Amino acid sequence: MNSAKMTALKKNTAATKTGPKANTKLIAGAVGLGLLLLIALAPLFLNLILPIFGLTIEPPISNLNAVNLAPSLNLPHILGTDALGHDLVKMIAYGALGSLSVGLCSALVAVTLGNIWGAAAALAGGAIDSLMMRLVDALLAVPSIILLLTLSSILSAPELVEHFPPFLLKALGVTNYTDGLLPYFIVILAITATTWLESARVARARVLAIKEEDFFLAAQALGSSFIELLSKHLLPALATTAVVEGTLLVSDAIIMESGLSFLGLGLGPSTPSWGSMLKDAQSCLTAGNWWAAVIPGLLICFTVLSVHMLGEGFFASKRARGKIPS
Amino acid sequence: MILRRVLAAIPMLFLVSLVSFALMRALPGDPVDVMLGSSQKEMPAEDLKLLRQEFGLNQSPAKQYMLWLSGWVKSDNVASANALGRSYRDGRPVKEVIIERIPATLTLVGVALLISFSLGLLLGILSVILNLKNKKADSVVTAALLALYSAPNFWLAFIALAFLASPYSAALIHLPILGLHPPGAEPSLAYAAEYLLLPAIILSSRRMAKVALYVRALALDELSKEYVVSALAKGLSLKSVITNHVLKNCLIPVVNLAGLSLPALIGGSVLIETIFCVPGMGRLMVESTFGRNYPVLMGLVMLYGTIVILANLLADVLNNVIDPRLQQ
Repeated sequence: MNSAKMTALKKNTAATKTGPKANTKLIAGAVGLGLLLLIALAPLFLNLILPIFGLTIEPPISNLNAVNLAPSLNLPHILGTDALGHDLVKMIAYGALGSLSVGLCSALVAVTLGNIWGAAAALAGGAIDSLMMRLVDALLAVPSIILLLTLSSILSAPELVEHFPPFLLKALGVTNYTDGLLPYFIVILAITATTWLESARVARARVLAIKEEDFFLAAQALGSSFIELLSKHLLPALATTAVVEGTLLVSDAIIMESGLSFLGLGLGPSTPSWGSMLKDAQSCLTAGNWWAAVIPGLLICFTVLSVHMLGEGFFASKRARGKIPS
Repeated sequence: MILRRVLAAIPMLFLVSLVSFALMRALPGDPVDVMLGSSQKEMPAEDLKLLRQEFGLNQSPAKQYMLWLSGWVKSDNVASANALGRSYRDGRPVKEVIIERIPATLTLVGVALLISFSLGLLLGILSVILNLKNKKADSVVTAALLALYSAPNFWLAFIALAFLASPYSAALIHLPILGLHPPGAEPSLAYAAEYLLLPAIILSSRRMAKVALYVRALALDELSKEYVVSALAKGLSLKSVITNHVLKNCLIPVVNLAGLSLPALIGGSVLIETIFCVPGMGRLMVESTFGRNYPVLMGLVMLYGTIVILANLLADVLNNVIDPRLQQ
């Protein structure tokens, strides 16, 4: 059979198994997330290009002459301004950078840590396995926001920050005058610490299942080394579930960050995020300014929806190809 | 089977307590250092030593942990209150501070659980019926549910709050919005029901959407099975197939979901209580986080963990009761 026929056949079987529905979800999610990334990266890119024409995009600054302006088609404030006169278009773009970077970083760290932990537990087996997983169970029993609040309180304690190694503080840009990236570090650490648990469980179950499968047993019987087994068979199989887990964790992390920022425990006043915009919007409401509250919230909904679609579409297409047991 | 579940819950409780205790000790310095801050430099060394002795800090960490653990079950006296720690804010024993906050949270979460599952089940069934009768209407309902699922609770909460506080709402609806009872009035169940209605509805929103979508997916999956075809072929009406067979089979995973929903609802109650000024555990949690009130925080972590473990146990037992396959 020539290769053109093969691909045609493959396409055909994939289409009959998944149907067109799975793919529309995948595409919708990808387009949604792409749009959000574009919003988040727009200020950075524009600031690379615009200086050629002698223009720059300044970060949002407060302007007390233009507070609580309603959205209108009049430039420069298309989406209106908040109680301090920040332009909402700019706030959204800079806030997207904060929210999405926290979401992506914590999902990445959490999935990596969870997979290593879960795979290690499954491979070790016996008492080590049950000890490692019982710890995960115990941490899962505590609702994530409780753990999140406790950790962010402990991690940001001045007593503890003083004990951080100097190279870390230097890398984060902490000086006597600024916290640098320290709030990012603390928020990502706290969110990661609460979200890696579920992916550890999934990874463990996955590895246990793979260990029993024929192809793995065959590879073992053929005398593959541990490194080979890990790199050729375990990791590729884990990667699929990890991507699904990871996409869903991004939306969880974004909601968590917005909750933390809403309480005032997030990225700090100098870094806008959608959560801190919602926090500030509370004081706008008394002035009848509802748009400052509605717009960032809708963006969070949109992000979660996109991520949800992407995760489901990806999951469905992988399952149809037999990469994930149904 | 049930006995095994109960026995499995005990080491979990133990581990949760160990985690909460370890978190408190992850901080450099001991509780006396944190409690006194920089003012301890002005205190004589003997006084500090006496204070540490009073809080049992001169003992080994293992002994301290045992004392802390026993503080939860022992009757109230000065020693057990000290072992459990005292709130940094007002020096009251942690147990007392936390226990008075439990009823409000449990009521809120209980009502939210009830709303999310009854409404979620109804909406899920509606969506399944629509799917069979009118696909377009089903996709509208599903899209609305997905949108509701992606909206953060706290955002809905303060949008609702803003709407109720605005002049437009006065003509439409009249609901009390903050606290648990009118200022000056004695707290009562009737007031609590009135005041907690809106927070509970908002707290349940995401869960309700999830339950509805879950029931829809489950029921549609069941409907494609052969027993449904044979039941229909036998001449049963679609209605009786759905109510007598399909829903019965969907009930087990839904009860399972109820157990799993509790951590999410309890977690969600933290922000909702803060926004609606409900004097519950969640608000205490936020207050203690800001005040770096570690003894209270650790007590809350322990209590939340315990509630969740017990709820999961209850869901397991319930599952056992309704699923005949598990009883053998």
